[in-house]
Amino acid sequence: MRLFLAAFALIVGTMPAEAQWLDRSWPGIPRTAEGKPDLTAPAPRGPGGKPDLTGVWNGPNPEPEMDPANAQPWVKDLVRQRQQDYQKGRPSYQCLPSGPESDRFAGWKRILQTPAAIAILNDDLTYRVIFTDGRTLEANPAPSWMGYSVGRWDGDTLIVDSVGFNDKTWLSRYGQGHTEALRVRELYRRRDFGHLQVEVTFTDPAAYAKPWGFTENMALAADTEMLEAVCELSSDHWDGSIADAANAGVTVAPDVLARYVGVYRGLYLTNKRTIEVSLSGGQLIARIIGAAGVDGGEMRPLIPRSQTVFEGLGIGYRFIVDDKGEATDVVEIHISGDSRFARQR
Amino acid sequence: MKLFLAALILTMGTIPAEAQWLDWPTPGIPRTPDGKPNLTAPAPRGPDGKPDLTGVWDGENVVARPAPAALQSWVRDLALKYQQEYFKTRPYYQCRPSGPEAERFGGWRRILQTPAVIAFLNDDLTHRVIFMDGRKLEDNAAPSWMGYSVGHWDGDTLVVESNGFNDKTWTSRYGVSHTESLRVTERYRRRDFGHLQVEVTYTDPAAYVKPWGFTANMTLAADTEMLEAICEWSSDHWEGTVSDGPPVTVPPDVMAKYVGNYSGIYGGNKRTIEVSISGGQLMVKIVGAAQIEGGLGTAGLDPDAPQPLLPRSQTLFEGLGLGFQFIVDDKGVVTDLVEIHISGPYKFPRQK
Repeated sequence: MRLFLAAFALIVGTMPAEAQWLDRSWPGIPRTAEGKPDLTAPAPRGPGGKPDLTGVWNGPNPEPEMDPANAQPWVKDLVRQRQQDYQKGRPSYQCLPSGPESDRFAGWKRILQTPAAIAILNDDLTYRVIFTDGRTLEANPAPSWMGYSVGRWDGDTLIVDSVGFNDKTWLSRYGQGHTEALRVRELYRRRDFGHLQVEVTFTDPAAYAKPWGFTENMALAADTEMLEAVCELSSDHWDGSIADAANAGVTVAPDVLARYVGVYRGLYLTNKRTIEVSLSGGQLIARIIGAAGVDGGEMRPLIPRSQTVFEGLGIGYRFIVDDKGEATDVVEIHISGDSRFARQR
Repeated sequence: MKLFLAALILTMGTIPAEAQWLDWPTPGIPRTPDGKPNLTAPAPRGPDGKPDLTGVWDGENVVARPAPAALQSWVRDLALKYQQEYFKTRPYYQCRPSGPEAERFGGWRRILQTPAVIAFLNDDLTHRVIFMDGRKLEDNAAPSWMGYSVGHWDGDTLVVESNGFNDKTWTSRYGVSHTESLRVTERYRRRDFGHLQVEVTYTDPAAYVKPWGFTANMTLAADTEMLEAICEWSSDHWEGTVSDGPPVTVPPDVMAKYVGNYSGIYGGNKRTIEVSISGGQLMVKIVGAAQIEGGLGTAGLDPDAPQPLLPRSQTLFEGLGLGFQFIVDDKGVVTDLVEIHISGPYKFPRQK
């Protein structure tokens, strides 16, 4: 269970304390009759008449549709290897910049727009600069974590093209690699005061046969402030792999395992999630539906830690058993807390 | 010598490659008749008539050695301890944000000025924002690496006040600590197009007997771009302290041969290395090394105190985070001392 502790320690540093600015009223923003920020008011515009994206934004984790057939074999192998290692090499777990990773489009960021440059300041203290001074992308840029970006306006849409990424970053938390030839296109639209949408497309033929991407919807975080979320404890200190866990020596009798087989449903955050638990080769397998994984439904081998607690991909699963020994629920133990899923059959 | 290797790896990641933008002419800046950026043209001003600090700035190295007497005793004790550990817990070496550390005012940054917020974007991929919207500092801010900053204009001087720092950062690379009550005052003046000066003052009565600080000068890096300089190798993997070197012993008569003064040029400056013996141990004092070197090696708070040299072999010693190799001729006479930096070896001939 060392993995859980490490992950827990990671988030403790980001817990906000009480602070005045966190409920500070922003001056000069449109408000409704009762004084709340009017998020559907028109988007503000800069001196050039283009939308001004300036503000503090927050968005949910995107779940890109990922077609396994689209990934080149080396990417598939890499994803499998990283899954075995609990994704511990993920840059954000290593306290390294996330670069173009899709989850970095979620969470907190401050956008600052000036005529010549737009800066995106992330809560993990990384940032990127998008040049809007008319320069073109470099043909042969030095590989970097955040890449090099130029932007231009197409009507009210900001089109950002980026190149020059190193190949150390991932495109998703599931471990999808990319090459230094990666190109990213982002289309930003602030449709009203409170909503910013970005359509992201990754193009990297040496890694993916076809371009792929996702859409991220961000909401203006009005009347509050962004707090730092700095990674201080690298996953270098995490122990183990799925193979290690399998060798940990806890065995659960086949008839006990069989009682856990079934379909469990519930909510994870605000998303419906179904967990299908099956037996394969004497091992419990969880298939998570509603958590778009690499292979569509994400398959997690469940490694026993005790007779009722199992570990799969860094998440704990506890089966709740009634007095007849039948499983009634499974609880997913996340670093953010527990989520309970009731058995359907 | 593992320490040297670790430090070498640290700097490798920052070597810039060839790239077009590195000699891309910045549009819209004043130029001299021969087309070079005119760094002494008047400073640009924003719509509000105040100086606009926007630009990429390269700061000279900052040397911030507060007088030991200005520090509370616990800060002095901690600085000595950090020196013994080769400063390996310096946040920068641990791949953590430098926060208010004096040396972070040197090096590269981009400033982006907007009416409500001024952003400082550092080349190590950290950033801070200075709120210009009239808000006051928080009384009870959540401790953070970069602190919370508000600014206002005093004539053409931007005055920035910051608090809300955690106590994990240092205020100087020489291991000077602070408490969460630290307040930092910065006064920025862009005296002309190409020059930006900042006066920094640290106030923290629980750590410093009186406020202390420094002045840093930055030059506009026109016609080029800033490159990322990401720390990827934490000093967690460094080994050793000054006191736990392997037990190599060098006979007193051999050490006596090394005593003397060695002089040469390092970084364009004359440098003299005075080697002496004290308490049966070889001591070294570097005269003319006030400037920060690329390496780890530097004295602590008192640059004038001789530091011990620990034997690694009969001719190779370690001290100040540097290697010292004595060169002996075939008659057993010491002719030179070589300082081994992460940037390479530097030879200093013996003077007497």
